[in-house]
Amino acid sequence: MSASKCTRLSGALVKQLLESVDSILFDCDGVIWRGDQAIPGAPQVINLLKEKGKKVFFVTNNSTKSRKMYADKMTTLGFDVKEDEVFGTAYCCAVYLKTVCKLEGKVYLIGSDAMRQELEAVEIQQTGVGPDHICGKQIDWANVPLDPEVKAVVVGFDEHFSYMKMNRAMQYLSQRDCLFVGTNRDTRLPLEGGKAVPGTGCLLRAIETAAQREAQTVGKPNHFMFDCVASQFGVKSDRCLMVGDRLDTDILLGSNCGLKTLLTLTGVSTVADAEAHQKSGCAERQGMVPDYYVESIADLLPALQG
Amino acid sequence: MAGAFGFKGCQKIRGPQIRNLLEAKDFFLFDCDGVIWHGENAITGAAKVVSSLIRRGKNVVFVTNNCTRPRENYVHKFYRLGFTDVMLEQIFSSSYCSALYLRDVVKVPGQVFVIGCDGLRRELQEAGIPCVEEADDPDATIYDCALAPDVKAVLVGHDDKMTFLKLAKASCYLKDPECLFLATDNDPWHPLSGGRILPGSGSLTAALEVASGRKATVIGKPSRFMFECISSQFRGVDPAQCLMVGDRLETDMLFGSNCGLDTMLTLTGVSQIEEAQEYRNSDQTTNHSLVPDYVVDTIADFLPAFEDGI
Repeated sequence: MSASKCTRLSGALVKQLLESVDSILFDCDGVIWRGDQAIPGAPQVINLLKEKGKKVFFVTNNSTKSRKMYADKMTTLGFDVKEDEVFGTAYCCAVYLKTVCKLEGKVYLIGSDAMRQELEAVEIQQTGVGPDHICGKQIDWANVPLDPEVKAVVVGFDEHFSYMKMNRAMQYLSQRDCLFVGTNRDTRLPLEGGKAVPGTGCLLRAIETAAQREAQTVGKPNHFMFDCVASQFGVKSDRCLMVGDRLDTDILLGSNCGLKTLLTLTGVSTVADAEAHQKSGCAERQGMVPDYYVESIADLLPALQG
Repeated sequence: MAGAFGFKGCQKIRGPQIRNLLEAKDFFLFDCDGVIWHGENAITGAAKVVSSLIRRGKNVVFVTNNCTRPRENYVHKFYRLGFTDVMLEQIFSSSYCSALYLRDVVKVPGQVFVIGCDGLRRELQEAGIPCVEEADDPDATIYDCALAPDVKAVLVGHDDKMTFLKLAKASCYLKDPECLFLATDNDPWHPLSGGRILPGSGSLTAALEVASGRKATVIGKPSRFMFECISSQFRGVDPAQCLMVGDRLETDMLFGSNCGLDTMLTLTGVSQIEEAQEYRNSDQTTNHSLVPDYVVDTIADFLPAFEDGI
């Protein structure tokens, strides 16, 4: 880790940094695209990095798309990317349940169809996806029938989130041996078209409050997503760069895993945010200070084209 | 008087001790669920306790975080369950007090976006507070939903018809720092009869706090506001004359403590005496406010104290 932090990346430093790494992890929203529009220059950056022999991966907390859906979106936007280079929380959550939790049994899922697909791909059955409207009376809700095969409650982004779903999750979670896993804690979810809505973090907090239990989350800044990439592709942390737009997820993940970190200013966090963490004197906040920052990842182009 | 029995002593009292307490206090505040009734069943002896207190000239009020019904419904429920002397003016629900807060304290200068039941809306309407109409097209999505103009407050309460769309709209309104953020109460879950529970207002409030990055102003217990409502309606109430009787340490006992009232835990509801003892033994001094002064198994333990014509 460089002694000086939060340095603007420009000039000769760019080439120096790129030569010091073999793998680069990119967040997606606010880094390579905003909604359904690529950040100008981003496709060229990704494609040139690959041409120059760098391994490129995508690590996103957004659970609304499967790996295949992400790969399709990337292809449409001009990124030359393969499905297995994308690590979204829908995929990583399924992997986590299968390989770490060794889950035998069903999942009560509050999440997207993408999550359902990723669970099915690892042969985990789910119940609950889709709309779930309230009917009947209070006593019916409290006595809602529970599927005895459900051994885990899993929460990702769900546009069909409702009181009834929260109730079912809470009832399952009153069983002590029922696992509780969330994809991520982001407070906002960026939408296509540039709007943002309440994120998975809100839904998770609602259920955690009702159930009086804390979920295990899989997404950044938890190191699990990096572990997934590293174990599948032999990535070495000291030769790896994390590029992101959020200090509390992307940069913190990088710090937690011993990676070099680069903040891009096309998304959520600002340099002022980073400097505030740096000056805070609080040890826990230092992990959110990036090594470097750029206005946009397009700033890497001159070094790649030269 | 509290000193005589051991401040925050968490002691079970009966017989003569209860009689002394009843003599010393003028104003009795009762929580409802788990204290005077369980669902549709009155706690045995509770109706007699209430009417005995009233006959002895004591002030009796009911203070509940339950925001799902208007107060008229409570009057009917009291009557149905055999509490024959209870009038509208004695009932303080978090929905009623939320309406008062909006009307009298903040004098809300625009519309209120409500996430809550019809019972909550009715209290607001009765107080003359304009609420945003629930006009959502069933096909409305987060991409194209309409936002009302002039929304000056978001009020969150128990809402079994809560949807993601409502959460999204509320967080849009809350982007305006001039738009107030209120919650009827913070209870994470509500008990039903038979040991079952349901998600409470607190869970919806938590979601919106995370979405907006703001903290809600909570109207219900343990916040002081409901006591201020009671006090202004009864033209000044001396906390030293009061006893707060409840079943939930985190709401009722803390409420009593926050308002400077003596507190009594009844064991017919949510909290167990062991939990109270844990709070008492806790290193964190803030936890001591959740410890009751007195404990009874049930409020029916008051009944022997009414004998002998005191």
